[in-house]
Amino acid sequence: MPNEIWVTAEQQGGKVKKIAFELLSAGIDFSKKTGQEVAALLLGSGLEEAAKSLTPFADKIYLLDDPSFTPYTSDAYLMSIASLLKEHQPSLLLGGATSTGKDLFPRLAMHLQTGYVPDCTGLSMGEDQKLTARRPLFGGKVFAEIAFSEARPQMATVRNNTFLVNENPNRSAKIIPVSPRIDPFSVRKKVTGFERAAGAKLDITEADIVVAAGRGIKAPENFKIMEDLADAINASVGTTRATVDEGWRDLKDQIGKSGKNISAKLYMAFGVSGAIHHVLGIGTCKTVVAVDTDPNALIFNYADYGIVGDLFQIVPALTDELKRVLSSE
Amino acid sequence: MGLPLTPDASLLTASDSLEVGMEIYVLVKQVPDPEAIIKVKSDLELEIENKYFTSFFDEIAVEAGLKLKEKFGGKVTVLTLDNRRVDALRRGISMGADEAVQIADPAFEGSDQFAVARTLAAYLKDKPFDLILTGRQAMDDDAGIVGPGVAECLGIPHVHSIISLEVDVQGREAKVTREVENGKEILTCPLPALFTCQKGLNSPRIPQVMNVMKAMKAQIKKVDLASLGLGPADVGSQALRVKVQKYLPPPKRPPVKMIKEDFPENVKTLVKLLREEAKVI
Ligand SMILES: Cc1cc2nc3c(=O)[nH]c(=O)nc-3n(C[C@H](O)[C@H](O)[C@H](O)COP(=O)(O)OP(=O)(O)OC[C@H]3O[C@@H](n4cnc5c(N)ncnc54)[C@H](O)[C@@H]3O)c2cc1C
Ligand SMILES: Cc1cc2nc3c(=O)[nH]c(=O)nc-3n(C[C@H](O)[C@H](O)[C@H](O)COP(=O)(O)OP(=O)(O)OC[C@H]3O[C@@H](n4cnc5c(N)ncnc54)[C@H](O)[C@@H]3O)c2cc1C
Repeated sequence: MPNEIWVTAEQQGGKVKKIAFELLSAGIDFSKKTGQEVAALLLGSGLEEAAKSLTPFADKIYLLDDPSFTPYTSDAYLMSIASLLKEHQPSLLLGGATSTGKDLFPRLAMHLQTGYVPDCTGLSMGEDQKLTARRPLFGGKVFAEIAFSEARPQMATVRNNTFLVNENPNRSAKIIPVSPRIDPFSVRKKVTGFERAAGAKLDITEADIVVAAGRGIKAPENFKIMEDLADAINASVGTTRATVDEGWRDLKDQIGKSGKNISAKLYMAFGVSGAIHHVLGIGTCKTVVAVDTDPNALIFNYADYGIVGDLFQIVPALTDELKRVLSSE
Repeated sequence: MGLPLTPDASLLTASDSLEVGMEIYVLVKQVPDPEAIIKVKSDLELEIENKYFTSFFDEIAVEAGLKLKEKFGGKVTVLTLDNRRVDALRRGISMGADEAVQIADPAFEGSDQFAVARTLAAYLKDKPFDLILTGRQAMDDDAGIVGPGVAECLGIPHVHSIISLEVDVQGREAKVTREVENGKEILTCPLPALFTCQKGLNSPRIPQVMNVMKAMKAQIKKVDLASLGLGPADVGSQALRVKVQKYLPPPKRPPVKMIKEDFPENVKTLVKLLREEAKVI
């Protein structure tokens, strides 16, 4: 039976993403059942710090440190990863449900003729190394538990905040440098530019806390109070389609069926009515707070805590109160 | 596959390129409307309210194809793999697509996304396409597998989740923007290629009533499994790489706790609850 579990440790600018530590922590849990080793797959360039941060979380790090891996293209990544996978034949390959994961994993699975389940919100492992993946369907109206055929590796991408990061992983990975395996003729895509998003906040899919305002905020400049609230608790600012269509906010911050699914630990919605298209994007958030002037707003049906009130009064007061309690710690 | 590469693109004049035009295929799927009620009937069975629409991102893909056709000439074909519903094809025709193809066969029942992708690729492989467009993900499964899967089967490059698209017909190259977590990435990609389309790329046109009526009568070409050179073992439940073992209702949130105190006590209470009860701050 295959003796390794693999996690692609996605990094950005040399910093490994949180989801990678979550997945390695899950891998360590699985390995206690299956007796396998846990390996991180790290691709990019200038990865010394990244590798160091992963060392406690794995038994092995396959390190592909080469300029041809920055920026990401599926062409370069696919060839190198596929060739390594064929050589080592792990039973499992996990990655984050990120823009890179969603670009790479389906194609890689087709290339390897193996099974892949996207955007999971739960994974469980049997002693027989068989994975069961759990994911929402129809925007979370239904969940499915999905099993894999005999083909290996079993592949899955997983949403942020699905697993706790192990505080004491206690491993000490051996770093195994691997040279890139790229046929330059088959690298067809070329990244020619990058526009960095304004502000330094995490993407709403990656933040632990997301605060959002909908049309109830009335004007684009009023989002300032949301930014202030977000800054106080290290959150990112999301929104509804209504404000995106008005041109008040960027599409990348839209939560819901035609935007992004978020899995935050805390989601707070202000002046968001709770249309089905919107709430389908928050189904896997842990705690939901809703504030709306309309006591009958649908959003209250999807919330843990609700306040009927004016966001222009509540948001600044909430920011101050949070600052007060956090600074007194 | 695709048009033959011209040895020296500069030899082409503008009028040549107009004659050349673009062969564009758009993959479309009819899915339950986000408002449809969906319930778990048994471990392996769902009850889906009969309320369907053309997957939102697929309409964006059709619109992108039509815009290119309007600019460069050529043809837009909409293609679906569905044993029952052809509404997505009619929607595509009513928007302005030229041809519609339905792949259908009882053998497809129980297929997973990989079989769907292989089948669509089997149909496309000997077609003269320049560009294949799909939705970022179908609005039912939200899987996002079929697009990149088809591209892999055809051996052409793909870019997932594009929000801008420009084509240089003579240079046989596309310039696209892809959304990533911390910004937007701009890429060039040789044609033929496959792109999955994301909101922001365009606003799909609303078809005129006349065109909707015409689309109802439009001819739809039907293709079955055998004519694609595939057998029953290549698709359906025999070819599954992933298999649903059990459907579950979504985990239920406890009923909402309304904080009914006056301002500003309600804010203080909320913070207290978030810290002491929910433990999220
Ligand atoms: C195919 C399709 C896909 C869609 N996809 C999405 C999607 O991905 N995401 C999405 O969000 N929507 C989506 N929508 C749109 C969705 O149906 C709703 O129209 C939208 O979510 C409403 O946005 P909203 O809550 O900001 O605005 P509204 O519905 O107008 O709600 C505004 C709320 O603010 C409250 N309010 C007003 N003033 C105040 C105040 N001072 N203080 C507090 N509260 C106040 C009001 O009581 C109201 O509840 C989609 C629709 C379709 C058809
Ligand atoms: C005849 C048939 C029988 C099926 N039987 C079952 C079953 O018994 N159980 C079950 O769980 N699932 C079944 N499926 C669904 C199947 O497993 C896939 O989920 C689905 O067809 C494609 O995956 P997706 O919706 O996740 O697409 P995604 O990968 O999310 O789709 C991305 C994009 O690919 C294109 N695309 C996707 N599907 C099609 C299509 N069919 N035709 C044209 N373009 C497409 C669209 O542009 C779409 O936006 C069946 C599908 C078919 C066609």
